[in-house]
Amino acid sequence: MSADASDLSLVRRVQRGDKGAFDALVLKYQHKLVKLVMRYVRNPAEAEDIAQEAFIKAYRALPQFRGDSAFYTWLYRIAINTAKNAVVSRDRSPVEYDLDRNNNDESYDMQGRMKDSETPEGLVLTDEIRSTVNAAIDALPEDLRTAIVLRELEGLSYEEIAAAMDCPVGTVRSRIFRAREAIDRRLREVFEGGLGRAEELG
Amino acid sequence: MNEELDSQLSAMFDDELLPAECELLARRLSRDEYLKARWGRYAIVGAVIRAERGVRLNAPLAGRVNAVLLAEPALAAHTAPRDRSRAPLRWWRPLAGAAVAAGVATVSILWLRTQAPLPGAPLVTQLAAPGQTTLPTAGQGDSYVVPRPRPAAVMVPSTELANYVVAHSVFSSPVARRNLLSAFMTSESATAGTEEPQSDVKAIAQ
Repeated sequence: MSADASDLSLVRRVQRGDKGAFDALVLKYQHKLVKLVMRYVRNPAEAEDIAQEAFIKAYRALPQFRGDSAFYTWLYRIAINTAKNAVVSRDRSPVEYDLDRNNNDESYDMQGRMKDSETPEGLVLTDEIRSTVNAAIDALPEDLRTAIVLRELEGLSYEEIAAAMDCPVGTVRSRIFRAREAIDRRLREVFEGGLGRAEELG
Repeated sequence: MNEELDSQLSAMFDDELLPAECELLARRLSRDEYLKARWGRYAIVGAVIRAERGVRLNAPLAGRVNAVLLAEPALAAHTAPRDRSRAPLRWWRPLAGAAVAAGVATVSILWLRTQAPLPGAPLVTQLAAPGQTTLPTAGQGDSYVVPRPRPAAVMVPSTELANYVVAHSVFSSPVARRNLLSAFMTSESATAGTEEPQSDVKAIAQ
């Protein structure tokens, strides 16, 4: 089993002109990238803008990607550089709310929060997604919960999880899949309900 | 939907699928919206378990990136001209090699010409040239000649080298070939005129 084979197969497809494969890469890494960028900028909306820019830069630079490093490592570097540049250019440009920040910290915080809450229904949905996923994880049988948590939280490989849980690798794969299935079933309900609620809120 | 396919998707998300299977599934994933949506939800599950604070789980980021990329040309369009530019390079490679070989041969020949003797100059140093010191020995016919220090060694292109050049003349230019051969002929004729038999040398020494 070669590491990063999954990403590499998608990357090769993008390099051959398949934009849909890049969409899959964005879906996979968007949350990680936003979280990474938020080390440099506090505002989630700004972090998303920077992450978007990083993805587009990565897409344009993909013809030069040879696969010497893992795709995410490469993407990670692009995102870090994009975030640093964004912070530098923001610091150079005049900031209108600096005076407000000095005079009234509360108003500055409100501005940040206002950006977050540009889509109130989005925040509601995010909270609901979180609580649904957490509830679904809690409801999982012990072996499924352990497998998915070791994978997603600890980042262990299937082989390492198999060693930790004293079971075959095939069983680990099956447990993780079944855990995801159970969570995904609940998640789909939220997404379907969430979209309807968003229209009501709008 | 096929459970085996979903199981493969889950394994692929974790980079735990065989590369050959990845290739096939990647192709399907890039086109199948159902699989892509499921793939995206797998990412959400991971983000929630890792408690990625500040991340909006329903962020329209993927859609925004997708919208921007719609206006971009596909990458294959970028890479195609590069491939085309490589083709002539491959065609020129043997010619470039031949040109380098010819250059090396020319330099070698020019170097040999500089080492060849000037017309009229002796090719072989006389062992007992006039003015050399002869050490007399008591009552013996044998004598020893101490040669004077020679200014420089004279190199004559060997017959083997000339034969080699002639045999491989197809790889050298006619001018270079003619230069080498003329140098060789000159040196041969000069050598023939100046060489002395060994018996004569002994006679001089005595």
